[in-house]
Amino acid sequence: MRKIIALFLVSLIIGTLLAGCGGGQQTQQQQQTQQQQSGNAQQGEQSKTYKIVVMPKLVGIPYFNASETGAKQAGKDLGVEVIYTGPTKADAAEQVKMIEDLINQGVDAIAVAPNDPAALTPVLKKAREKGIIVADWDTPADTSVVDISIHQIDDKQYGEHIWDLLVKAMGTDSAEYAIITGGLSAANLNNWINAGLEYAKTKYPNLKLVTDKVPSDEKQQIAYQKALELIKAYPNLKGIIGISSPAPIGAAQAVQEKGLQDKVSVVGTALPNDSKMYLKDGSLDTATLWDPAKLGYLTVSLIKDMLDGKKPADGQDVPGVGQIQVRADGKTVIMGPPTDFTKDNVDQYNF
Amino acid sequence: MQKINISKISINKETILLYVFILTFVFMSILSPSKFLSLGNLQSMASQLPELGIISLGMMVVIITGGINLSITYTAALAGIAGAFVLSSGLGSEATGIYVFITILKALAVILLTGFLCGLLNGYLVGSIGVAPILVTLGTMTLYEGVSLLFTKGGAISGFPLQYQWIGNGNILFLPVPIVIFILFALLTGILLERTAWGRSVYMFGCNPTATLFSGVNIKKVIMFVYIYSSVAAALAAIIMTSRYNSAKVDYGSSYLLQSVAIVVLGGTDIAGGYGKVIGTIIAAGIIQILSSGLNLIGINRFIVDVTMGILLIGVLLLNFFINKAGRKGVMTKQQKEMKTDKKVPA
Repeated sequence: MRKIIALFLVSLIIGTLLAGCGGGQQTQQQQQTQQQQSGNAQQGEQSKTYKIVVMPKLVGIPYFNASETGAKQAGKDLGVEVIYTGPTKADAAEQVKMIEDLINQGVDAIAVAPNDPAALTPVLKKAREKGIIVADWDTPADTSVVDISIHQIDDKQYGEHIWDLLVKAMGTDSAEYAIITGGLSAANLNNWINAGLEYAKTKYPNLKLVTDKVPSDEKQQIAYQKALELIKAYPNLKGIIGISSPAPIGAAQAVQEKGLQDKVSVVGTALPNDSKMYLKDGSLDTATLWDPAKLGYLTVSLIKDMLDGKKPADGQDVPGVGQIQVRADGKTVIMGPPTDFTKDNVDQYNF
Repeated sequence: MQKINISKISINKETILLYVFILTFVFMSILSPSKFLSLGNLQSMASQLPELGIISLGMMVVIITGGINLSITYTAALAGIAGAFVLSSGLGSEATGIYVFITILKALAVILLTGFLCGLLNGYLVGSIGVAPILVTLGTMTLYEGVSLLFTKGGAISGFPLQYQWIGNGNILFLPVPIVIFILFALLTGILLERTAWGRSVYMFGCNPTATLFSGVNIKKVIMFVYIYSSVAAALAAIIMTSRYNSAKVDYGSSYLLQSVAIVVLGGTDIAGGYGKVIGTIIAAGIIQILSSGLNLIGINRFIVDVTMGILLIGVLLLNFFINKAGRKGVMTKQQKEMKTDKKVPA
C-alpha cells in the first residue's frame, strides 16, 4: 500500500514535469506554425527565422502586457520568432539568470528593460561575445554593452509637450500653476520638469509657478492631499501639472471633489486606464504618455533590421510606429512624440 | 535499535531525492539534448547554483538547531554593500596590478567581517539573551535592510575593478569559480557538522535543547557559532553575487530567503530541528537549478516554472512524510513484536 502511494507520488512529480514541458512544446509548435504562416505570407523570403528575446522588467503588469502585445504583433508581421519573457518579480538577479539561460538557448538578439543597469553589464557583455545582438528598451542599460538603445520619448520634447498641453487646457498663458511630481530624486521626472520649465521661460513668460515642485512619493493619495492644499493656498491657481503616473490622477481627484473642473486644469503623465474616469468628467484635461504596445513593436522591428544588417536612420519611417529619431551616436533611437489621451480617444487604449 | 532505523529512513530520504535529481536531469537532457547538455549551459548552471546553494547551507545549519535565520539575505546584501564601498572607492581606472589586488583582498575581508559581525549580533541575541530565533532574525533583517538602505539610498553601487569579476564569471580549467567555492564550502560544512564536537552538539541541541544543556555542552557558544557560520555563508554568497552582477544593491537576492528555506526542507532537513544533511541540501539546490534552467531553455512561461517548482516541493514533502510515517510504523510494529516475544520468553 505504502509502496503504491510512494509510486503514485513519484509519478505525479514526473507527470507535472511532463505537463509543464508539454505545454511548452505546444506553444513552440504554435509559434512555429505562426512563423510558417507569416513565412508563407512573405513567400518564403527568409530562409531562417530569427529568434528575438524581449525581456521586460517583470511580467504580468498592464504596462508590460501591452508591450508584449506589440512585440508579438511585430513578430507576426515581420516573420521572426519573438520570445517575450521576464521575471515574475522586478529583480535584477532573476533577469541575469534568465539571460544566461537564453544565451544557451541560442537566440539571435536580446532586448532587455533592465531592473538595474549595472547588474546586467557582465551578462550582456557575455551575450555580445557570443555574437548576440544586445539592445535595451524602455529603460537604458550601460551604453557600452548595447548595440542599440530604444527610448520611448525624448525628455526635452516630452517636457515641452506637457507645458503646451497645460496652456492649451487653461486657454491662456498668463496664469498661475503648480507642479506635483512623483519624487524629488527621480532622474527622468526631473529631466522632464526642467525641460518644461526652461521652455516656459521663453515661450510662456507670463506663466507663474506658485511654488517649487511638490513631491507626492509616487502615491495617488498624497498627490490628492497636496492638490487640495495647493487649491486652498492659491485661490487663483488655474493649472496643475502632474508628473509620474499617480500624480495627475490624485490632482484630478481633488479637482473632482471640489467641483472645480472648469476653473482648474489638470494635465500630466498618466496611464489611460487610470485616467479614464477623470477624463470623462473633465477633472483631468489631458493625459500624455507613450504607447507601450508601439514601443514593443518598434523594439522588435528595429532589431530585425539590425539582424538584416540595416542600421536605424534618423527620420526613418517604421511601419506601424511612425517616424523615429536617431541621436548622433547612431544607436540611441527615440520612438517619437508622446500619445495624448483625451476623453474622446481614451477608450481605444487598454493599459 | 531505534537509532539504526532512523538512519535507514534517512538514507531513503536522500536516495529518493537523488533519484528525482537524476530523473529531472535525464528528462531535461532528452527534451533538449543539444541545448541542455551543451558545455555553455552546464557551466552557466554551475555558476548560478552556488549563490542560492551557499545561502541554503547557511540556512540549514540554523534550521538543524530548530531556529531560522530570516536575516540571511539582508546580511548578504549588507556585506556585499560594505565590500562594494571598498571596491569602488579610492581606485582610479588605471590602477596598477598589485594595488588592485590589495583592494580586492581588502574588500573580501570587509565582506566576510561584516557577515561575521551580523552573525555575532544574531548569535548573541539568540544564544545569550535567549530570544526566539524567528523574532531576533526578523528584527535584524529589518535592521540590516535599513542600514543598507541608509548607505546606498536604494541605488546600486558599481564601478568595480575588472579583475573582481573573475570570482563570479571566471573559470578554473573548465569549472566556473563559483562552483569551486560552493564545493569547498559544502565540504567544510559537512566536515564541521559530522566530524566535530561542535557539529554533534548542533544536532543534539536541535533534538533536545534541555538535554543538551544538562549534558554539559556550552550552549551559548554552540549557538553563537551556528549563527556566525550562517552569516559568513551569506557573506560568501555576497562575494559571488557582487562579482557576478558587478555591483551591489540592497535587494539583490531578496528572493532567496524563502527559496533557501524551501531547498533546505526539500533536502530532507527537519524544520523542527535535529536532522539535516549537507548532501540533501546540495541535491535539492541542484534539482531547483535544473528545473529553473531547463524550463527556461525550452522557453516555458515563467509562471508555469513557478507552479512546477511549487508542485515538486509539495510532492517531495508528501513523499517524505509518507516514508517517515511508514518508517515509524515499522519501528513500532517491530517494537511491539519484540515486546510480545520478550513477554513470551519469561512466560
